[in-house]
Amino acid sequence: MMNLFAMARRIIRQIVRDKRTLALLIIAPLIILTLVWYIFGAKTSEPNLAIINYESSDLVPAFKKADYERMTPLQARRALADNKIDAYVDLKHPVAVHLEGSDPSRNGLAISKIQKSMQAVQRIGIRKMKNQFQEMIKNQQQAIRNQQQIIRQMTGALKHYSPSALSGIQLNSPGKAQQVKIAPSSGEKTHLNVTYLHGSDELNTFDSFGPAMVGIFVFLFIFMIGGVSFLRERTTGTLDRLMASPIKNYQIIWGYMIGFGLFVILQSFILTCFIVYVLHIYNVGNLFNVLVIVFILSFSALSLSILMSTAAKNELQMFQFIPLVIVPQVFLSGLFPIETLPGWVQTIGSLMPVHYSTDALRNIMIRGTGFSGWWLDGLVLLVFSLVFITINIFALRASRPLAS
Amino acid sequence: MTYPIKGEHLHKHYKKQVVLDDVSLTLHEGEIYGLIGPSGAGKTTLVKILLGLEKADSGTVQLFEQPPTLHAFRSLGYMAQSDALYNELSAYQNLEFFASVQGLRGKEKKERILEAAKHVNLENALKKNVAQFSGGMRRRLSLAAALVHEPRLYLLDEPTVGLDPLIRRNIWTLFQYLKGKGASMIVTTHVMDEVARCDRVGLLSEGHIIAEGSPEALIQEFNVSSVEDIFLLKEGAHL
Repeated sequence: MMNLFAMARRIIRQIVRDKRTLALLIIAPLIILTLVWYIFGAKTSEPNLAIINYESSDLVPAFKKADYERMTPLQARRALADNKIDAYVDLKHPVAVHLEGSDPSRNGLAISKIQKSMQAVQRIGIRKMKNQFQEMIKNQQQAIRNQQQIIRQMTGALKHYSPSALSGIQLNSPGKAQQVKIAPSSGEKTHLNVTYLHGSDELNTFDSFGPAMVGIFVFLFIFMIGGVSFLRERTTGTLDRLMASPIKNYQIIWGYMIGFGLFVILQSFILTCFIVYVLHIYNVGNLFNVLVIVFILSFSALSLSILMSTAAKNELQMFQFIPLVIVPQVFLSGLFPIETLPGWVQTIGSLMPVHYSTDALRNIMIRGTGFSGWWLDGLVLLVFSLVFITINIFALRASRPLAS
Repeated sequence: MTYPIKGEHLHKHYKKQVVLDDVSLTLHEGEIYGLIGPSGAGKTTLVKILLGLEKADSGTVQLFEQPPTLHAFRSLGYMAQSDALYNELSAYQNLEFFASVQGLRGKEKKERILEAAKHVNLENALKKNVAQFSGGMRRRLSLAAALVHEPRLYLLDEPTVGLDPLIRRNIWTLFQYLKGKGASMIVTTHVMDEVARCDRVGLLSEGHIIAEGSPEALIQEFNVSSVEDIFLLKEGAHL
């Protein structure tokens, strides 16, 4: 037991005295997350649009002057070529859209904006149609009235010259002429009524990426620092010195876990408070739950990094594991949907610790679920850590083959 | 007479290269055994196998007349060829850690640390960061870490490499002092003037112990002017 604490105390001292590492562990994730927050959390910029051939078109009201610049066809083509506008709308052939087209995200913005205007165009069309119908009906009514006038005159004449024929006609007539009424049109109300089960319309990209990002960066920094620090134990020979002492293998590995664990708690706490209170990431869940997940994730990162350092001969080889271990986690973490990927890719994804932390953090922060929503993910992460730790303890046996 | 370390018929090879070929070595209680030989002769491998840090392909190793156990390591001071220190920590913190791992506690630990530091003339540098130490100071601190728990048996791999002559002499005086207190040690070296200070030396060349005995006896036996010449003789050179 005392050896375990001696080990943990030494690691704590090492990190506290190494300000660079301490900064990398605690401040660097904050800086990077802030950057990510600016990139993904920024309001998406409005597309620059223009209309041409609008003079004779009655669709112009649908394209507000604030959103669509008025241009001549020549101006518009030039502006498009110079990348000053993202698209222009030709109202002569309603409705033709010409896109700049080099940036898919701006294409999407322009199209969705124009589609909104198209709703207005449709409303204008409907109103025009309604007016035409009303006009038509009014004309017909006028015609009917004129006919009635004639019939009245004819009736007068008939009454005068042949009253018996008139009574025969009146018996066969279909009652009173009906007045046609036009019901007020309800076609103009086209707005959607949207409600959210989770989140709100203020949820931006960072809010949904955030939980994955937290996992990725916590994992990355713990992986680097933990791995290199255990690797140094091998390369400087201190591990040999420990191997030639009565300390037990599990005391070395758990000493690392406890020593680093303290900084991991500190880091998780600062990071979680930072994203929730400073960056105001969308969070409806319990802060404590977030903390627990980040903490468990760090443990799996630490134990995995120690395991990987066994297979590395120097720092460079340790960093060569980053593309192998970290990058797939970024893509399979849940940042991007993986449901449609081939089965074997999904299997790899389900071996990634960050995959589970993202799932758990999304449940907690966006859906606001409690323990019942994340215990399974937390358990999987714990199992990851325990498996890695056990392998590590056995791997150390290879460094001390005779006495165990 | 008891044997703190006994290795018999040790074989070891890495891939195709044979490093040790039927090497037997017995350390007697209370002696300083010098393991000498050119670099690449297999000295470090032999020391590591005797410690149990590496497994021999065949052969047996006994520590204190038993197969190696963790408990035996409590009576063992090991100093590797690399300094094996924690650069971020101060000299005191380094010694304190290794002393703790060896099971020292409280007041006793403090006293031992100061004593070990005094032995290597570092008592005034204990508060300094190891990162600021010179090569010689690091070597001495590494030695202090090996003797902080007063072991009965020392395995020292090139303890004096890179040290200036005066400090080297002090360190050999320290070895004699430790021997006087009943310790046994195996010291590897390739500095020949250190050979004369050993009670017995073993000459390791290409995986074989080509000669073993006290320096004086060896010089007489092979009729050479220094132990170093035995290597040349074995190489077939005419003196």
